[in-house]
Amino acid sequence: MLREGGSAGRRRRKGPSRIMNRNELLKIAENWFSSQNWKPFPFQKQTWNAFLQSKHGLLNAPTGSGKTYALWIPIVLDYIRQNPDYKTKHKPGLKAIWITPLRALSVEIEQAANRFAQDIGSGLTVGIRTGDTPQKIRTAQKKKMPDLLITTPESLQLLLSSKGYDKTFKDLNAIVIDEWHELLGTKRGVQVELALSRLKTISPKMKIWGISATIGNLQQAREVLLGPGSEAFENSVLIKAKINKKIKVSSIIPEKMETFPWRGHLGMHLLDEVIPIIRNSKTTLLFTNTRSQCEIWFQRILQKYPEFAGELAMHHGSINKETRLWVEQAIRDEQLKAVVATSSLDLGVDFAPVETIIQIGGPKGVARFLQRAGRSGHRPGEESVIYFLPTHAMELIEASALQKAVKNTAVEDRVPYLQSFDVLVQYLTTLAVSDGFFPKDIYPEVKSTFCYQALSDDQWEWILNFITKGSQTLQAYDEYKKVEIEENGKFKVNNRAIAMRHRLQIGTIVGDAVLSVKYLGGGYIGTIEEWFISKLNPGDVFTFAGKNLELYKVKNMQVIVKKSKQKSSRFPSWAGGRMTFSAQMSELLREEMFVAAGKSHKSVELKALSHIFKRQKKESIIPGKDEFLIETFKTREGYHAIFYPFEGRFVHEAMASLLAYRISLLSPITFSLAFNDYGFELLSDQPIDMQQVFDNNLITSEYLMDDLQKSLNATEMARRKFRDIAVISGMVFTGFPNKMIKTKHLQSNSQLLFSVFRDYEPDNLLFQQAFRETFEHQLEEGRLLMAMERIEQQTIVWKDCEKPTPFAFPIITDRLREKLTSEKLEDRVKRMMAQWENL
Amino acid sequence: MTKSITIFEQNFILHYSGALFWEEEDMLLISDVHLGKVSHFRKFGSAVPQSAVQGNFLKLTEVVEFFQPSKIVFLGDLFHSSLNKEWLFFEAWMDNITSEVILVEGNHDIISPLKYEALGVKLFPEIILKNFLLTHHPEERSGFFNFSGHIHPGVRINGLARQSLKLPCFFKNENQMILPAFGEFTGKHILHPKERNEVYVLANEEVILLK
Repeated sequence: MLREGGSAGRRRRKGPSRIMNRNELLKIAENWFSSQNWKPFPFQKQTWNAFLQSKHGLLNAPTGSGKTYALWIPIVLDYIRQNPDYKTKHKPGLKAIWITPLRALSVEIEQAANRFAQDIGSGLTVGIRTGDTPQKIRTAQKKKMPDLLITTPESLQLLLSSKGYDKTFKDLNAIVIDEWHELLGTKRGVQVELALSRLKTISPKMKIWGISATIGNLQQAREVLLGPGSEAFENSVLIKAKINKKIKVSSIIPEKMETFPWRGHLGMHLLDEVIPIIRNSKTTLLFTNTRSQCEIWFQRILQKYPEFAGELAMHHGSINKETRLWVEQAIRDEQLKAVVATSSLDLGVDFAPVETIIQIGGPKGVARFLQRAGRSGHRPGEESVIYFLPTHAMELIEASALQKAVKNTAVEDRVPYLQSFDVLVQYLTTLAVSDGFFPKDIYPEVKSTFCYQALSDDQWEWILNFITKGSQTLQAYDEYKKVEIEENGKFKVNNRAIAMRHRLQIGTIVGDAVLSVKYLGGGYIGTIEEWFISKLNPGDVFTFAGKNLELYKVKNMQVIVKKSKQKSSRFPSWAGGRMTFSAQMSELLREEMFVAAGKSHKSVELKALSHIFKRQKKESIIPGKDEFLIETFKTREGYHAIFYPFEGRFVHEAMASLLAYRISLLSPITFSLAFNDYGFELLSDQPIDMQQVFDNNLITSEYLMDDLQKSLNATEMARRKFRDIAVISGMVFTGFPNKMIKTKHLQSNSQLLFSVFRDYEPDNLLFQQAFRETFEHQLEEGRLLMAMERIEQQTIVWKDCEKPTPFAFPIITDRLREKLTSEKLEDRVKRMMAQWENL
Repeated sequence: MTKSITIFEQNFILHYSGALFWEEEDMLLISDVHLGKVSHFRKFGSAVPQSAVQGNFLKLTEVVEFFQPSKIVFLGDLFHSSLNKEWLFFEAWMDNITSEVILVEGNHDIISPLKYEALGVKLFPEIILKNFLLTHHPEERSGFFNFSGHIHPGVRINGLARQSLKLPCFFKNENQMILPAFGEFTGKHILHPKERNEVYVLANEEVILLK
């Protein structure tokens, strides 16, 4: 007990220490800051104060601004206040949870937290628990939790699935949700909402804090986090860090615009222009939009400029963790001249030496662009420089629009999910797996969340029936087994196999099956999607993680490779990652188009595009503010009709589907649909009678939702959404680790399921959710309506062109397509066969 | 609705359900029904609509009533997995069947033969009749024409304007024909036809020979 040093013996026996007041506590923090030669920012002090006054809240602060200390410090101070004898007596048990969306960020947070906790001798311990944490450590943690646990939304749910979880959390004093903006518009955010609703009951002292970058709907973000109208919400604050960063945007414009391609997504033409930028800067980050683009850029820079070997690195989510951590450390240590990266470097991690950012290809959203720009000049007050490198000519218009966006700091909203029944089914099963639950306790908790505030008694009843009976009515010979209702009314999973399968599947991110890539002699390189490997044969060479690898064999979900000296042009690509323009971005883009069409002053980017505009004007027009352009032409492929709303990919997807559906009502026809951020295409093997489209007034906002709903039945969109829902709600089992069911099987299973539900149970809430999600999140119905109303006010200009125009080119060459048909299947088969004869 | 073909001077009718009728033998061939799959999923906590169980039985009844065969031969994978209560529906269905029922065992058929025999279903690893060999797995044996299943064959067909379709099919060459999966809750495996193949796709209520 006498650890205070030699003087203790001479002193009177120490009584209990006095409880410190807020000022005394804050003094500890300020002293520590001075000892580091730092000065706390006003937002940090505000947060300390608010936390110590037992408030909940949302802190709006960018990465690299000291946000970890804004919240970790008052958590420690609060512990000191409650445990004045903290130096001699450590109170055991979990006190705080820090939720981070990315495992990669946890180490950084752990280091920062440990630094303060140890320096002031608080005696508090910090631990990490994520999917990477070894079983041994996890078991040890269960016995003895660290004081601060850094974890992910999924791992938190897993804790709720273990027996006696309420004891683990009973002394929880704080929970911090980091990067809340990243979680908000996703089902992982819903998972967090549900976990919080439970913790509010079992951890009565818990204070809830979120940390978010700047988004359009910060106030709503706070409401979603804390629960609408909840006690926590009433007693909460929104604190904004006012750190003004100056951002300079500069486009890389090719010297010879004439040879710059009309389409493409790699941007290789401008490789040489990038080199002087890298040379003149301490460290440069090159952001690409996809992992394959990242691989290709890395490879090509080294091929052409081998002198960068050793100074150039690559960072994306599929490379193994050790390599990623090494790269991150090397950036901090100023060992690297440049890093080619994807969004895996968007978040967290603070890199002071980075001076310059190059964005390759359109970032698609203002918030993302600003966040990336913010990665450079990480010290407050320093100017951030970001270069924009267009991958095809039309992207220069985006560059011009982005310049304005940065000036006006127009950022997007993150739209929270509502009524995600799949996540609720998973959550209730989780509770049934651990200690079981009584619906009368859980229902009010669930209803208190933002996501389920509109949940009706009937829907709740439906969900309970679903998890216990697998249907709404009992049927003959049914053996459905999942959650059982015990005699006292408790909902419980008693079957161990079901419990184990459920634990394995907790989560809401449904990805393609990934295979680990390993050397024949051992050594893990990273992960790769199954569908890419399925196209290769043993002996084929491909490039991954910057290395040329020869495929040796695929076994047990592992891709075994050997190093190869052969050159390769095969780069793995990873599905997904197609993003849409935000509403803000689309509006800026339209404005730029009008500038381009008009005679007013033009930016350098628009000037560089003048030859393309000239060509466009020759073949067709550049639509002005009051014009809606439609182009039609015929190629070897068939009859094309291109529409240009300039509303972003997702809205175009909806409009394409809507219009195709309406036209298909006139006579049996089959369309293949393509869309990009500028417009969309209806392609058919029969000519489209455009005059009929106008005469029947098919471009109208009337009956919009009704028609769209019907058109959805004819496309594949809802089917794809249903896949995620089926996995999250546990209808499709994704398999055991390392023995995963191949995605192909999972896919076809959920596809089969979709058809079965459509034919036998179309009123199933989970089935209907697929359509609702398609509307709300994929097609952005609100934006669609506004766009249709805007178009109704415009004059339609229909150009029957000789050949594809510069505007049309990037759209018609897009291979990712939807289908819509009103023809009978047998007629389609026969017509396709007839076409073969004519070929 | 159907398509007639002749092999070794015997006449066969391809039905849009995926069943094949052998006229001279008055025999109906059906492959890969995968009964019990829906119940299997439900037993393991996946809430596939229970009413879907009836789909396969309705389809079976329809095709049997159409041909009224004296023999029904299932070319394997009649049941998807171990015994579950869907067996009771099968028993009920068998009650109304007057034809002789035979099962050529497939890899999924793990239910005890005694259960089948009790219902009057005869089991064989393979059947040889005239110049024809009936198996579950596709096989090439000289001198015989082989009818089989197992693969769940499907084909992709492409048309102008970037159109494409994937459809289940009867997949034939000069020595064998693979039947499509008859079961409702089954997937298909896409095959790539070569010169020697004849492909009959199932398109709604028609069977169409691809040319």
